[in-house]
Amino acid sequence: MNTRLLRGLCAAAALTLMASGAHATGFATCDSGSREGWQPQDKLAAMLKDKGWQVRRIKEDGGCYEVYGLDDKGQRMEVYFHPRTLAPVPRGAKDHKG
Amino acid sequence: MKVWDRFVRFAHWSLAACVLAAWITAEVKLKSAEPLHEWLGYAALAVIALRFAWGWIGPRYARFGQFVAAPSRVLAYAKAVLRGVEPRYLGHNPLGGWMILALLATAALASLTGWLSVTDRFWGVEWVQEAHEALGNAVIALAVLHVAGVAYTSWRQRENLASAMLSGVKRPPEPGDIA
Repeated sequence: MNTRLLRGLCAAAALTLMASGAHATGFATCDSGSREGWQPQDKLAAMLKDKGWQVRRIKEDGGCYEVYGLDDKGQRMEVYFHPRTLAPVPRGAKDHKG
Repeated sequence: MKVWDRFVRFAHWSLAACVLAAWITAEVKLKSAEPLHEWLGYAALAVIALRFAWGWIGPRYARFGQFVAAPSRVLAYAKAVLRGVEPRYLGHNPLGGWMILALLATAALASLTGWLSVTDRFWGVEWVQEAHEALGNAVIALAVLHVAGVAYTSWRQRENLASAMLSGVKRPPEPGDIA
């Protein structure tokens, strides 16, 4: 009885962790196909640096590139871009075509 | 008899509300929920700071010195639970005491890393973001274990410990209980 209880507790904790990590995390999703057609993250970073941005992090999220950085005015920005076209993706967009 | 003072109860339920609401406002992935998520973190941090102070200066059952047990006692209590012969504690039992420390510490670190992650200096810094997410998930996992532990102990002792945390009142100690 008591070992079953312990096992149940561990399973509940594990499930909670998995459930919180499993689903898509994004503010937008992109219809961007296979990675072969994607432009490199470095190019996006360079493009933004030319605009006066300080790029902090670029990661994939929901098929988009998600960029964290400070813009030319020093404002904190979190913006999505389409990995094929590098066009900005509005927040809340679903399967954005770029 | 009265065990949980007014501040302990306030801190418990306000922190529980902050954690639950912070989890929801993070999971909905809405820009409009972000300011609320941030303020919940600041509120949680304030409650935790006050609770730590209360743990030194508060009344008997609020004090860390009363309920943070040495590892050997925790182990002995855990073994007794597995054998179904654990004593009733009027305050927190040894496992519950460490759960409280773990929850307070993890929630504090989750709040602090969340705060860092919205400063200009640490905005978009990967380790801060990853640490915040992992700590947030850890708080939820610990809270689930905490609720399970409370439910189990309530059942073992035939006393609703959740409502005791609302009223502050518990059954007076009987022979064999640890007050």
